[in-house]
Amino acid sequence: MEIKLPNLGEGADSGTVVNIMVSEGETVTAGQPLIEIETGKAVASVPAEKSGKIIKILVNVGDKVTVGRTLMILEAEGEPEKATTAQPERKIEPQAEKTTAKPVAQKIEIEEVPVEEETEEDEQKGILPPAASPTIRKLARELGIDLRHVKGTGPGGRIQMSDLKAYIARLHKLAQLALKKEAQPQTVPQPVSIDFSQWGPITKRPMSQLRQTIAKRMLESVTTIPQVTQFDEVDITRLEELRKKFAPQYEAKGARLTFTVIVLKALVMALRKHPIFNSSLDELTNEIIFKNYYHIGIAVDTEAGLVVPVVRNVDHKSAYELAVDLATLAKKARERKLGLDDMRGGTFTISNQGGIGGGHFTPIVNKPEAAILGIGKSQLKPVVVNGKIEPRLMLPLAVSYDHRLIDGGDAARFITDLCNAFSQITEKDLILA
Amino acid sequence: MEKIKAELIVVGAGPGGYSAAFYAADRGKKVILVEQDDRLGGVCLNRGCIPSKALLHAAKLISETKEFAKNGIEFGEPRIDLNKLREWKNSILLKLSHGVSMLAQRRNVQVVRGRAYFEDSKTIRVETSEGQKFYTYDHAIIAVGSKPAMPKAFDLGNPRIMTSTEALEIEDIPETLLVIGGGYIGMELGTVYSILGSKVVIAEALPNILTGADPDLAKPVAARARKNFQEIRVSAKVKEMATAGKKIRVVMEHDGKIKDELYDKVLVAVGRSPNHEDLGLENTLVQLDEKGFIKVNEHQQTDDPNIYAIGDIVGGAMLAHKATKEGRIAVEVITGESSAFEDIIIPAVVFTEPELAWCGLTEAEAKAKGISVEISKFPWAASGRALTFDKTDGLTKLIVEPETERILGIGIVGHGAGELIAEGVVLIEMGATVRDLAEAVHPHPTLSETLMEAAEAFYGYATHIYTRPKKTVE
Repeated sequence: MEIKLPNLGEGADSGTVVNIMVSEGETVTAGQPLIEIETGKAVASVPAEKSGKIIKILVNVGDKVTVGRTLMILEAEGEPEKATTAQPERKIEPQAEKTTAKPVAQKIEIEEVPVEEETEEDEQKGILPPAASPTIRKLARELGIDLRHVKGTGPGGRIQMSDLKAYIARLHKLAQLALKKEAQPQTVPQPVSIDFSQWGPITKRPMSQLRQTIAKRMLESVTTIPQVTQFDEVDITRLEELRKKFAPQYEAKGARLTFTVIVLKALVMALRKHPIFNSSLDELTNEIIFKNYYHIGIAVDTEAGLVVPVVRNVDHKSAYELAVDLATLAKKARERKLGLDDMRGGTFTISNQGGIGGGHFTPIVNKPEAAILGIGKSQLKPVVVNGKIEPRLMLPLAVSYDHRLIDGGDAARFITDLCNAFSQITEKDLILA
Repeated sequence: MEKIKAELIVVGAGPGGYSAAFYAADRGKKVILVEQDDRLGGVCLNRGCIPSKALLHAAKLISETKEFAKNGIEFGEPRIDLNKLREWKNSILLKLSHGVSMLAQRRNVQVVRGRAYFEDSKTIRVETSEGQKFYTYDHAIIAVGSKPAMPKAFDLGNPRIMTSTEALEIEDIPETLLVIGGGYIGMELGTVYSILGSKVVIAEALPNILTGADPDLAKPVAARARKNFQEIRVSAKVKEMATAGKKIRVVMEHDGKIKDELYDKVLVAVGRSPNHEDLGLENTLVQLDEKGFIKVNEHQQTDDPNIYAIGDIVGGAMLAHKATKEGRIAVEVITGESSAFEDIIIPAVVFTEPELAWCGLTEAEAKAKGISVEISKFPWAASGRALTFDKTDGLTKLIVEPETERILGIGIVGHGAGELIAEGVVLIEMGATVRDLAEAVHPHPTLSETLMEAAEAFYGYATHIYTRPKKTVE
């Protein structure tokens, strides 16, 4: 018997042979995969319909094959093939032909969106022209309809005018459905206005431009990026003492040594070790872009709303320079003097709520960046140090990341290294030159 | 120089060209039809279908009267006046070609006599008796046809070596005639000459005569030919030909032996070759295939966007009715319809004794393509009408898709098969089933009943043959 390429499903009438899993003369059992075909959508294997011996393999790896093409000759057990007749005497066993052909079409494993009601695919159907009168074939050609997809209800499956009309009506309905779906994406419910005044007095205020921009960007981030947040706490008792120690010197020079300066120092160390957190995904080309610079955005809470100015080349700057930059940007932000250039080109963002309060939270990745660090308010907590409970100043850290680029393990390693980076910061890093 | 503008120029006024020109004119196009020959109608009308059929009719008349002697009517030996016969034949051609000219006139199709040459993709130069004329056009259809192939080795410049063109002129009836090629042209003209009195030997290089037809259908033709002809040689290779006084010496390899023989005349009928030369096609974007046929797509479009080609010049079945259909498609495409040469049934007819015709899928083709089919046959020995014609060497055969019982092909061999096959074309084009054919009443007593009975035989209840019923009537 001939092993033919069965129907691969809608839209796939051909494929490429990627693997031949048997050789000529080999004995196979029913259901054993013989050959693998790649169809653009999936790789599918063609199983043996019956147990027997492979007499001949008619294709090679790399061959493009179309549905119905004979792939191999199988001598089924107990019914030896007439050695050379390429032509199977179908007339004698039309029954066998029918019963074997169909299960194969089902056996083939392809994940596919099921297409609405299809006519039963016959092996012959692909080769023979559709049964329809010249009038109907002409009309179909004019309308660009492939009659092989039209189910004929006439004698012998002949396509009649009524069949063509029914098919066109169905296409029309499908097109309308698709249009409706497009107009109303199911994930976003249609906005509706609710009259809240029915339950009590209300005041209305238009959404500011900034608010609208924030809303749009946040929505875009959460709807297009699968995000995960990783939590940790870092002991900053020693660093807080250091900060307090050096703060007056900074103040004398007109700068403020905030904890954000220290975070920037630690963060760059961690980013250097984990460049994927300093990268971006090009969604068009599917390329990951690693940036060899470290421009860190700082989320600043202003009266108008959230803005994110960027501190440039953090890796090249001293703690003092960072402190000056931060102060300048914060001032500009509050005075609403930030230019577009001040807010562009960030590679990673820090959202520090430490000055306000609250513990862990889940920041939203600032697209197109790959991750964001959220910092909560540090608190004295009882911590076991060397077997004894000690009060330690603990800083809550939260890293949200784009799971398309970064896996959980990477995130755990990153946050661990970030914590370690804090412990590596010494007086030397903060001392003024 | 002044250029005359036409909407459509058709080059070649054979059955493809003139019908395309007329069809375009009927659709409101301003059409110019260029023909280098004095007479319109092309090979079909002047050197092919029509003259050969006239001669075959004459030949059949002779053989029928001879054969009828056994049934009680005997004529004397026929007296053949070749001049008169030729005159009669030529009068038909003249009448038809005149008819085509008249029809062109009625449709305002301007006929230009002369040789056409493409100067570029937009200009045709025609060498007329009044000098050169230049034409521009929106579209052109090339329908320049084909001519009998004459292999170099056979082309001795000796008029005793003929192609079909010369053979149709029946200058004389040679005592011995070798026909090289057992295709339909060789078999038809061989029949004419053998019945007119020549001793005809057919030499076919392939293992079968009339390749393309199913062997069971070709068999009655071969059987009759063996009676009419001196000999049919298959797998025969002509090695050498030479002039030998008033004869032609032919060396041929056949049956493992070398035969060295003398013939009065030789007819070379080894196929037809496209008339692609001296057309200036190299000045256009038109592309040829390796055999010299113009390449076209299913819309009859060449690689040059304004130039179409139809008929023998594009290859495939070199038949007038194929050319005509292609011409219709080209004109429809030019006038904005989305017509295409797809799934079109082109019937084939061989006007031998008996006639052989088929359409759609042949049994051999089904085998080659791995299409499972069921065959149903009705032998003409069981047809009353065939008996009254005294022509029972016939067979009607259906090639059927077993699952849907749709008719995929029909083959007929027997008296008048060429006329009968037309019903088969309609059946297949309409996607008819065997049941449709079996249920349609065919008039009695006619040969057309053989089609209906072949359909009935499919179900096992044909009245005039007994087959074990294999299908229950639903």
